[in-house]
This record gives sequence, structure tokens and C-alpha cells, in this order.
Amino acid sequence: MARVLLPLALIGAFLLVVPPFLDLGWQNALINILIASLFALAFNLLAGQAGLLSFGHAAYFGVGAFAVLHLMASIEDGLAFPTPLLPLAGAVAGLLAGLVAGFFATMRSGVYFALVTLAIAELFHSLAPHWQGVFGGEAGLSSMRMPWGGIVFGSLIEVYYLTLAWVVLSILLLWGLTRTPFGRLALALRDNEQRVRFLGYNAHISKVIIFAISAMFSGVAGGLQAISNETANYVLFASAVSAQVVLYTFVGGATIFFGPVVGAVIFTLFAYLVSDITHSWLLYQGLIFVLVMLYAPNGLGGMIHQHLRHREHLDWSRLAPPYAVTALGGALVTAAAVFLIETLAVLFSREYEVARRDAGGGFPGYEVFGLDWSPLSPLPWLIPLTLFAAGLWLILRARQPITLLWQQVVAGSVPGDSTP
Amino acid sequence: MEFFLISTLNGVIYGLLLFMVSAGLTLIFGMMGVLNFAHASFYMLGAYVAYAVSSSAGFWTGLIVAPIFVGIVGTLVERFLLRRVHVFGHAHELLLTFGLALIAEETVKLVFGDFPVNYQMPDALKFAAFTVFGTDYPFYRVFMGIVAVIMFVVLWLLLSRTRVGIVVRAAERLPQMAEALGHNIPVVFTSVFGAGAALAGLAGAVAGAFYPTNPNMALELGVIVFVVVVVGGLGSLQGSLLASLLIGLFSSFAVGIDWSAADFLALVGLGEEARSLGGLLTMQISSISATIPFALMLLVLLVRPAGLMGERG
Repeated sequence: MARVLLPLALIGAFLLVVPPFLDLGWQNALINILIASLFALAFNLLAGQAGLLSFGHAAYFGVGAFAVLHLMASIEDGLAFPTPLLPLAGAVAGLLAGLVAGFFATMRSGVYFALVTLAIAELFHSLAPHWQGVFGGEAGLSSMRMPWGGIVFGSLIEVYYLTLAWVVLSILLLWGLTRTPFGRLALALRDNEQRVRFLGYNAHISKVIIFAISAMFSGVAGGLQAISNETANYVLFASAVSAQVVLYTFVGGATIFFGPVVGAVIFTLFAYLVSDITHSWLLYQGLIFVLVMLYAPNGLGGMIHQHLRHREHLDWSRLAPPYAVTALGGALVTAAAVFLIETLAVLFSREYEVARRDAGGGFPGYEVFGLDWSPLSPLPWLIPLTLFAAGLWLILRARQPITLLWQQVVAGSVPGDSTP
Repeated sequence: MEFFLISTLNGVIYGLLLFMVSAGLTLIFGMMGVLNFAHASFYMLGAYVAYAVSSSAGFWTGLIVAPIFVGIVGTLVERFLLRRVHVFGHAHELLLTFGLALIAEETVKLVFGDFPVNYQMPDALKFAAFTVFGTDYPFYRVFMGIVAVIMFVVLWLLLSRTRVGIVVRAAERLPQMAEALGHNIPVVFTSVFGAGAALAGLAGAVAGAFYPTNPNMALELGVIVFVVVVVGGLGSLQGSLLASLLIGLFSSFAVGIDWSAADFLALVGLGEEARSLGGLLTMQISSISATIPFALMLLVLLVRPAGLMGERG
């Protein structure tokens, strides 16, 4: 237990103590990370634990955001409601929307379930811009955070602590849920629904409740974002929002509780750090997702978890060299991909088109990574090719010893513990 | 009458275009149980490849190269990516195609820019096919319809009259039995996936010259194509033709209709009450025309998940 508690305590201490000393950009990034983590965990209750893959969770995120904005507007008009409790409106709205949508969606399973959730989100997305009264039309709704009990909620750090409190509370509740018999029922529904029914449970009602709880916490996450941004419009219902949470969850790992947080932190940080440097960061995000799906089907969190679980059987003195080789190979392949993508981004840009016109149709030199290159010389094409080939060679070389070592580990540990 | 005739024509042709894309999607789902989120990306890819080729080698070359190129991409995706994650289950296949759709969109933005490109039909095709009520009806719309009809006839003949068609249909119904009889089912799967991608690519190459070619076109068409295959019945080719025409006609009529739910309620004397409630009840059909297909899709999924013509539930 101490092994789990210590890192959690360290992260908690960091989140409590450090943010006041950070600049506004980082405070904002931390708020986004917290919201994304909660959204991903709420989504994973449904997708990972109950095995119901939703492609429309933006609906409940958005409903929560709009509900909170309506309540904020009422407070502005004089309603006596404590500002720190605003996310409750998101929770209630998410829960209600989740009960209705969940009732219908869980009548179907598999691909059909995914399609129902997708259609519900598209319903919101296509209606919201035309529904002035509820969603504020195309412009959306805006409001202001009102002071309450001596707290002004004017500075970002106050919003940060409010978000932190709500996210920690929600995560504790979600984690507590997995420890209850009902939480185990969700897993059972995923693994064998027929047997659950045979045991006398009402599978449909159970799934509706799980769906509604997931939607409720998504609503809290949406509400927190509304509080932080003080505005929301129909874009919150877009398929891109639903897509993001799928990415967070499956890159992080849907099979373990904190997996989605790993994905949410990585991608939100990635967005904050990289989106300023390159326009292609969504492409990198897509590439990472597909690579994880291909080579680490349980996500990055699943990989970490597997190592922790077998830590007593792992012979690191033998495992470390091939791992280092793989890491080096991975770094080379990544460098090759980044080099190529950034080069192409420059060569296909409008600026380069103008430069070509100025040069009379030739191929003038360009600048990537602070160095000058010429597209006609073989160098900018040979570098990524060589890096890629070398990286791939290293990875393939290290693969066999790693597989062998893992086979020994799995064979040496408890029987029945051999999940890949 | 003019509105009715023009809307019908436009609707049928848009429906036929939807069918070109949804045919491959529904065939792939019927066979492999994979809902291919990247299918509309093949459509987009077709339009962009045709644009890139046509700017130097002419429109007709683009029209031929695009489906071939997209078909090859589809084949590679099935053979080297989809088959790899097959062991992890359908959810993973779905997620993989979802990731590929993201990559396709971003790659197109990287290469062609995040704005519409100027992909135009050749001047030789820019003439009026006929004139109705004083309006010239563009020949290119008719051309799109003809391409779709030819495609449907060829596909139907191929599936119902040839030996290849028999193997494909057998592989769809009972893959294991077909394999036991000595047919190479993985190759059949790969070919169907590639052929489906090529069809979507052809649709993109044809339609891209008429409708805007931009990086959002996959997303916009993708959701409508899902509606079509669901309403028609996942896996049913006839169903998806019927649903394509239905959705096509609906979308072309809906933009011109300004009734609202309140008008219908007024027929039974509840008009004033409905108008005072406002919100959904007073929205005109034309302004929520984007919503109704999804409502229809939900209805079908909940009431008859097998769709209009599907057999599977």
C-alpha cells in the first residue's frame, strides 16, 4: 500500500504547494490537465470498466458546462448560491442527460452502442447553434464568476484550487466506486453479461446507472471548464471533444484505474508545450495513438502496470540492455519522423510557395531547426532515412531478447497471471 | 413545382454520391464486423489525390489515378495495420481506424493546407444538361449520378453474377466454412477492404470537383455516411442504396421547408401554446435539417437496429 500511497502523496503535495509559484500559462495548463484527467476517468468508468465504448461523451461534458453557465448567470442576477458549489449544476445536468441517453444507448451493445452515443452527441452538436434560449446560439453563453465568502475568484490560482478540490473529490468518489460491489458488477458486465443476468442482476438498469454516473462526472469536468473559461459554445459538443477523451483513455490505458490520467496528462502537456512550436502537433497525437494501439494495446499505463506487477520476477540486469537499445532505437525513429514532418510542413507551407514564386519557380533553401537546408540536396532526405533505418534495426534487434525474458518472467510467476 | 423537381434531382444525385461512399463501408462491416471510421478519409484522400494529379496531368487522369492510389492505401491499411490488431478484438479495430482518420485529416492539412483547395471540373464538362423552368441544370451533377449508377451496376453484377462474387458473399456469411472449402479468406478480406476504399476514393475524386475540397470533408461526410449505413442496415448493399437516396432527398428538400413543430400543432389547435413555449417547437425544419438525419439514425438503432434492409440485429 505504501508503494501506491507515496507517489500519490508526492503528486498531491506538488499540486497543493507548487502552483502559486508558477506563471499564469502553467497554472492554466494545470487546470486543463486536472479537467482532462477527470473527464478521462469518468469516460473510462464506462469504456474501460463496463466495456461500453462511447464515441459521444462530449455531449455530457458540454451539458455540464452549459448548466454551470446558466447557474453562473443566475448568480450574477442575484441568486444566493455559493460559487464554489457551481460544479454541482454540471453534475446534476450530466446525471439527468446520462440517465436519459444511457437508457436508450445501453439497449444496444458493441458497435451499435458506439453509434447510438455518436448520434446523441451529433444531435446536440447540430441543435445547439440553433437553440438560442438554452445554448446561446452560435455565439454560446458567457458569464462571470461572482465573489463568495471573501473569495473573489478573480485570479487564476483561486480557480485552480477550486478545480483541484473538485477533481480530487470526484476521483476519490470514482475510485471508491470501483471498490464497491457495484463497481465489481461493472467489470462483470464487461466480461460476461449473460452470466450477470443469470445471477439475477438487471443488466440494463445496471448499465444505465453506470452510464449516468460516468455522464455525471463528465458533467462536473465540463462545469469546471465553464468556470475556468467563463464561456462555452456549441463547439463543446463537437466530435473532436469526444475524440480527445478516447485518445487520453486508450493511450493511457483503459484496463487500469489511473491509466486514463496518464494519457490526459501526456496529451494536455503535449498540447501546451508543443502546439506553440509546431502546427503539426495533432498529427503527432494521431501517430502516437495509432502506435500505442498497434504495439501497446493496454496503453502506456498498462505497460507500467505490467512491470510493477512482475517487479519481483524481473531481472533488470538482463532486461536493461535490450530496453536501452529499444529506447535508443525509438528515439532515432522519433527523430526521423519529426525531422521529416517538420521538413514537409515547411516545404508545403504557403510561405515556401511565395518563396518559390520569388525565386522564379525553383526550389530555394529553407530553414528547419535553426539550420539552412536545400530541398535539392540529398541531405535533408538522407538524414531521416538513415535515422529511421538505424532506429528500426535497433528495435528489431532488441525485440527477441525482450520477448524471451518476458516469457521466462511470466512462466516463473503465478499461474494464470500470463496476460500479455 | 420547380422547387420539387430541382430538389428531387439534386436529392437523388446527392443520394447516389452518398451510396458510392457507403457501399464500401457497409460491405466491409458486413464481412469483417469492422466499423471503419477512416472510410470517409478515403473519400477525402480521393479528392485530394485527384486534385494533385489533375493540376498537372489533367482531370481524367486524376479520376483514374485517385481510386487506384486510395485502393492501394486501403489494402496496405488492412494488411499491415488492421490485421495486426484483429487479435485484440473489434473495439481495437474500431479505435485503430479512428486514429487513422485523425492522421489522414492532419496529413492532408500538412500537405495541402488547412483551407479549401481549388479542385475544379474541366471546362469541357461545364455546360447545362437541360433547362427546367428557365434554370440551367449543370451537366456535372448528371455526370456524378451516372458514375454512381455505373458503379452500382458493376458492383451488383460482380457480386451476383461472377465467381468472385460468390466467394465474397460466402466469406461474408460463413467465413470459416468458406476457408474450409479452400478459399483464402484473408486475401478476400484485404481485397474487399481495398475495393471499398477505392470506391470511396472514386467518389471523392468525382464529388471533390463539384463540392468544396477541404480537410473537413471527411468529418462532414463521415457522420452522414454512418447515418446511411445504419438506416439502411449495416452490411446490406440494397439497404444502403435505399437509405442513401432517402437521406439525399431529405437533405435537399429540408433546406427549403420552413414548417416547424408549432405549425403541425396548430392543426389541432395547439399552435399558440407551442409558440409560447418556443425552443425546439418553433424551430423551422430548414434550420434543423442537419439534426433530423441523426434523429432518424437514433430511431432506427433503437427500434430496428438491423435497419431497413439488414438481416443482422
